[in-house]
Amino acid sequence: MPEPTGVIHDIGYQRYTGPRLGRRYVFGALYLHGVRTAFGLGRSAKAKIFPWLVVGIVLMVAAAVTAIRSQIGETVMTYAQFADSMSWLVIFFTAVAAPELVSRDLRSGVLPLYFSRPLSHADYPLAKLLALVTALFLLLGAPQLVMFLGAAFTSDGMGGVWDELLDLLPGLLYAGLWAAVFASIGLLIASLTGKRAFAAGGIVAVFLMTTPVVGVLSILPAQAANQLAGIASPPTLVQGVGVWTMRDLLITDPDGVVPDLGPFGPVYALAAVALVAACVTLLLARYRKVAAR
Amino acid sequence: MTTTDSATRPATATSTLDLAGVSRWYGNVVAVNDVSMSLGPGVTGLLGPNGAGKTTLLHMMAGFLAPSRGTVSLDGRSTWRNPEVYRRLGLVSEREAVHTFLTAYEFVLATAKLHKLPDPQSAARRAVALVEMEDAQDRRIGTYSKGMRQRTRVAAALVHDPQVLLLDEPFNGMDPRQRLHMMELLHSLGDGGRTILFSSHILEEVEQVSGTVQVMVAGRLAASGDFRTIRRLMTNRPHVFAIRSTDDRALAVALMAEPSVGGVELGRDGLTVRAGDYGAFTRALPKVALARGVRVHQLVPEDESLESVFSYLVEA
Amino acid sequence: MTLIATESLTKVYGGGVTALSELTVAVEPGIVGLVGANGAGKSTLIKLLLGLLTPTRGRIQVLGLDPTVDTAAVRARVGYMPEHDCLPPDLSAAELVTHLGRISGLPRTVARERASEALRHVGLHEERHRPVGGYSTGMKQRVKLAQALVHDPDLLLLDEPTNGLDPAGRDAMLALVQRIGTEFGISVLVCSHLLGEVERICDTLVAIDGGRLLRADHIAAMTTATDVLAVEVSEGTEALAARLAALDLPVGREGRLLLVPLADQGTYDQILGAVAELDLPLHRLDQRRHRVAELFARRESSHA
Repeated sequence: MPEPTGVIHDIGYQRYTGPRLGRRYVFGALYLHGVRTAFGLGRSAKAKIFPWLVVGIVLMVAAAVTAIRSQIGETVMTYAQFADSMSWLVIFFTAVAAPELVSRDLRSGVLPLYFSRPLSHADYPLAKLLALVTALFLLLGAPQLVMFLGAAFTSDGMGGVWDELLDLLPGLLYAGLWAAVFASIGLLIASLTGKRAFAAGGIVAVFLMTTPVVGVLSILPAQAANQLAGIASPPTLVQGVGVWTMRDLLITDPDGVVPDLGPFGPVYALAAVALVAACVTLLLARYRKVAAR
Repeated sequence: MTTTDSATRPATATSTLDLAGVSRWYGNVVAVNDVSMSLGPGVTGLLGPNGAGKTTLLHMMAGFLAPSRGTVSLDGRSTWRNPEVYRRLGLVSEREAVHTFLTAYEFVLATAKLHKLPDPQSAARRAVALVEMEDAQDRRIGTYSKGMRQRTRVAAALVHDPQVLLLDEPFNGMDPRQRLHMMELLHSLGDGGRTILFSSHILEEVEQVSGTVQVMVAGRLAASGDFRTIRRLMTNRPHVFAIRSTDDRALAVALMAEPSVGGVELGRDGLTVRAGDYGAFTRALPKVALARGVRVHQLVPEDESLESVFSYLVEA
Repeated sequence: MTLIATESLTKVYGGGVTALSELTVAVEPGIVGLVGANGAGKSTLIKLLLGLLTPTRGRIQVLGLDPTVDTAAVRARVGYMPEHDCLPPDLSAAELVTHLGRISGLPRTVARERASEALRHVGLHEERHRPVGGYSTGMKQRVKLAQALVHDPDLLLLDEPTNGLDPAGRDAMLALVQRIGTEFGISVLVCSHLLGEVERICDTLVAIDGGRLLRADHIAAMTTATDVLAVEVSEGTEALAARLAALDLPVGREGRLLLVPLADQGTYDQILGAVAELDLPLHRLDQRRHRVAELFARRESSHA
């Protein structure tokens, strides 16, 4: 018979001697957490409802467009047009996701727990911004990928797939532009208040209130003002950049109303870059202040 | 000291706050359950774990909240919705928005006017002086520290010179100096004949301000009175003393022979004695030590503090 | 190694408010109490320690590093528990502490394991998978402590850790802090307004008053025995006072205590003899000690 044995294991406090990962890893962790948060992952079931409703709608639209094209052969919308036609969904998604990403943290007072860790005060907003850009890009890009796959399977030969790919890439770039502009505006507004309802209202309001400005400017009796009107509102600004850079992909209906940019296409592009840069600068300034508080 | 001059000024008449069978429930939740007590002049501490019903009790005393059953009366008159009572009673609640854009003086003055005092200016000045806030009285409350805000609110509660002052966690957020100051203030107000009841979780401080306590546990009044007396009433708890002497071992042997002693533990730092009969042991110890020629250097009661009394009451 | 060292540390805010003025102090590892009359200096010092603020003048070192230069390195080795509410109500304690562990640089699986361990050590068990919003004050304080502990810091900064706790909760929290300082081997800086608390758990004390150093010393040195004996009898205080006075002992009074100067060993016998003769119940006989509170006992009329 073996000797009875016994042992008491040490389950007291253990010091940690393993690796402590650097700034890039910490940034990545915060970024991934942000992307998940935008889609309500790791959150309550209630937080998942809206993001996935929007995801469902865009995917359904993409599926319908693909089906129509493969069955009837008619192209309902191009890849680039997809982003344009989904603009209101993007705005709503931003209005829900941005406050979820930053207002909630302001409200709960959790920020001191972040800023007392090896994370610079710029990393926090940048990781959140990148997360929101990614989420919006996925929202607009994934359906385009569905459309592409549908088209690629029904096209004849590699040549057709190549042509589709050449159409898809500008569409994805355009989606990236949408994502960058909307995310930076949305996150900046949301970072100003801890109340999620206020933040969401503020984001929708900015997009909503600037639309009439465009309307007024475009009927002024001055051609330059008409041609520059689109700059006044983020959605028309982004569309302007699109029309300037990829006119053929965005305007497929020869009888439709075409925004007239005149010679100001580059101004639109510059304005878009300036807008994003300004939002990011203000966002960083905001968090420099928050971190020291 | 300016505080004591006005605070210890003999009060015209003292007041008694009486609670008879007071209960308060919210739906099925019973916050206060059949509490009867009588509070006279002097300082009393109101103790209890979180959620024991202290704040509800204070609000009923102040007449802000109606008891679901029973009566709260000040000198025989019910406090609930009785404007006469408001003139003789002040309440400093735990969390209360102070108007940060006012100065302390303005805030206290506004309170004085609300009470329709005949000379609100001098009443406000007197109350501000009582809490020693004259130096900062013309700065906006928004610039104050927590302790200064708290003192401002005490001044507002005192502006109409009430006979009864109720305070919910008055020391919260105060720094050491402000705490000492507030303790002295409560002391002097109590010595001046006012009836003061304050709640606190910091038992060392309660012990310093007042030996008289009311202990709430889960809505019930678990004990009232002098905490040392309350301790003596707990006859099922042996009294623990730490003793150091010139010959601990000899003293231990001698003490074991005493019927009042339940157990003696000999440690490196002296003796720990468990005595069943407090009176008999504390009388016997000096004689036993002298008889054996042992010199006692230290005799310290280990579980006689308010802290131990409180934990015994809550555990029971 | 010195835990915290400052040299003429001064912080003046934009509005001209001086929160810290010429603070020079060196603190050894252990449990350190930080007490301040007037809160501004205390929170400013914490922010300077974490590199959230830069000093206006002077130098500061934490664990041998300068937090204004090696900010990330300092923060990786420091854990901070804020005074105020800082927990998102919809997350569970386990999720939150794991996430914050990763933000401190712990690899994913390590963060999960250490979060679970940290929560166990602070005394949170099955409830750690429920949303924090439903926790009691005591449980929230424990979660705040666990998140400061998850990455195994060498220094913990605890800002009013017993704030809002009832007596039982305070007791448990103080015992926990003491265990962290001794058993876990982690140095702790405890900010507190409660001197009794500091006296109970700390080895050393740094007292700041109006931004200036009031005193930095071992608690033991601040609570040395005086040569006065405190005598308390549960009845017959007057009779004993009279008897001691008759023995030519200069008796003082403080509340229920009789204070007798300790001339020599004979004083003990005289007192014990007097008590025995009068057949009084002796409640306490003890050499008086200095108290930390004496630091603040001298009141200043203006504290702006």
